Amino acid sequence: MDAIFYFLKSIRWQDVIDVTLNSYILFRFYALFRKTNVFKILIGIAALWIFQQIAVSVGLIVTSWVVQAITTVAALIIIVVFRNEIRSVLQTRNLKAILWGFSQKSADAPAQIIAESAFDLAKKRIGALIVIPGKEDINEAIQNGIPLHGDISREMISSIFWPNNPVHDGAMLIEGNQITEVGAILPLSYRQDLPSYYGTRHRAAAGIAEMTDALVIVVSEERGTILAIKGSRIQRVLKVEELAAVLQEHTGTRDKEKKSSRRDRIETGAAALVSLMVITGIWLIVARGFDTLVTLEIPIEYMNRNPEVEILDASVSSVRIQLGGSGALIRSIRSDQVRVRIDLGRSVIGSNTFTITNENISLPPGVFIKSFQPSSVDVFLDTPTVKNIPVQVDWTGKLPENMRIEQVTVEPEKITVVGGSQILKTIETVYTEKIPLDSLTSSRSLTVNLALRPASLKVGPGFRDKVVVNCVIQEKVFEGKPR
Amino acid sequence: MCYSIQFLRNIRMWLLAMTVAIGMLPNAIAATPTELKSEASPHPVLLNAVMCEDVQNQVIINAGVVFPIAIGKISCHSAFDLIPAKIPIYHNWYYRDELSTKIKLLLIPPRWSTVSTIQLREADKGPWRVEITGEDGQVFKTLRFSITD
Repeated sequence: MDAIFYFLKSIRWQDVIDVTLNSYILFRFYALFRKTNVFKILIGIAALWIFQQIAVSVGLIVTSWVVQAITTVAALIIIVVFRNEIRSVLQTRNLKAILWGFSQKSADAPAQIIAESAFDLAKKRIGALIVIPGKEDINEAIQNGIPLHGDISREMISSIFWPNNPVHDGAMLIEGNQITEVGAILPLSYRQDLPSYYGTRHRAAAGIAEMTDALVIVVSEERGTILAIKGSRIQRVLKVEELAAVLQEHTGTRDKEKKSSRRDRIETGAAALVSLMVITGIWLIVARGFDTLVTLEIPIEYMNRNPEVEILDASVSSVRIQLGGSGALIRSIRSDQVRVRIDLGRSVIGSNTFTITNENISLPPGVFIKSFQPSSVDVFLDTPTVKNIPVQVDWTGKLPENMRIEQVTVEPEKITVVGGSQILKTIETVYTEKIPLDSLTSSRSLTVNLALRPASLKVGPGFRDKVVVNCVIQEKVFEGKPR
Repeated sequence: MCYSIQFLRNIRMWLLAMTVAIGMLPNAIAATPTELKSEASPHPVLLNAVMCEDVQNQVIINAGVVFPIAIGKISCHSAFDLIPAKIPIYHNWYYRDELSTKIKLLLIPPRWSTVSTIQLREADKGPWRVEITGEDGQVFKTLRFSITD
């Protein structure tokens, strides 16, 4: 339970975005390429990749190598061989369709085409009479029909009922996806209850509807209205969708479409779920699995330093950080992605001790801190200043017993030193580097370097870090006489 | 370790200062007129100040700036003129900018010489300085020297 809680707690918002985004990309690939050959090949490549990963994990070196080669070649093949199919998928869709849309099953089903055509004709005030037979045979009821057997299209329907077309006054018979006959003559209805303004077209429609189980669509030339007549029922239709529904009801395709639509939704949902699972699995393997450790030496960065203050000394200049994470992340990590920052906003002149915590360390996503050293840093801050300080020679070694250095002068006697005021306050003398006495036997001048300590001290402008030492060497006096 | 060395050094120097800094040499100084800064100065005038191996019978032995540790002790000799009254002066001994001991010496009008001496130990090797100051902190002179092998 604790492990699950720890795992859930360790999931970052970047991980959620990572998985969601890539799951959606995978799902979009499915949505765009499903029912194409490319999709089948992509499935094959994915299977090969999984197989290769398994081969690698169990140590099948040659197998994994071969499968990897095949996968690579297959990826190239899919691009070369199926370039036209890929292009057609991408070119025929706009950006919105690529990012969001779903390929619909043919929206131009016969019912839809017929419905749209009827409303086109009504809008243009062109009369039309369309008969869609039911289960009963209607050949006995109609006469003089001209066989056509052409595929249904809006253009075809419009041209057949065009006023100058010789067959425009007759009825059109539609069976399945085809216009089977045109110019057919239908039996007239002798019903007395029909409105008086119904002309021959309407009466013919009512007639065939009374005699058979056919559905008849009538478009009124005078009023531009559309009627759907079946049996003795006459229905005024006002919308394309309504007419399409009536047609689907009649042909029995409505249930089929409902089932098909439900199957599509289930298929889409399953594809989304599979995409999510696949990406989550990859994320678990790549981003979470196989913890690796790495140790980095990261220099400390100091933030919000008062510009009038300088850092004169620090106990450490870098922090040694041991990082953990997946091998892929750890391998790709760069030292500039890891930073150790210390805020000097509340520091004071003099010595400051800062405790280093995880909050001072910034890491790239997916990497976590195992340990780091040191846990604190002492920083000495000071305002830079200058001071004239006398120079003194630092002798070492041993003079010959009978010799003594009577006098020493240094040029210059004093030098200007630049450094922190706190440090310079305690410094009264600048010493030279050690000068060995052993080789001195007579008076001479020497040029020696200065030994400025601490290292933060610098020689001021106009001075060199060297001085000239002039020494006067005399013989020692023993009991009033030189020996 | 450093503190214990420093403690021993301070004790030793104070003892030596008390015993040795009584080398008052009232008539040993032959003042040179050019060395006198001002006849009417309210402060005494430092005529001469040197580091030396010893002062015997008012004679400075082997004055210099580098002394071997083997000599065992070292002295700071200072001579004053125009001393207005009995006033103290100080010999402040510094080892590498760190005050090692501060020895108070009395000047008696009109001329007076004083000597302070410290005993040397192995840890005393390195650069030293002695600041000769008045009671008010006025620095008469700074003598710089080294203790070596």
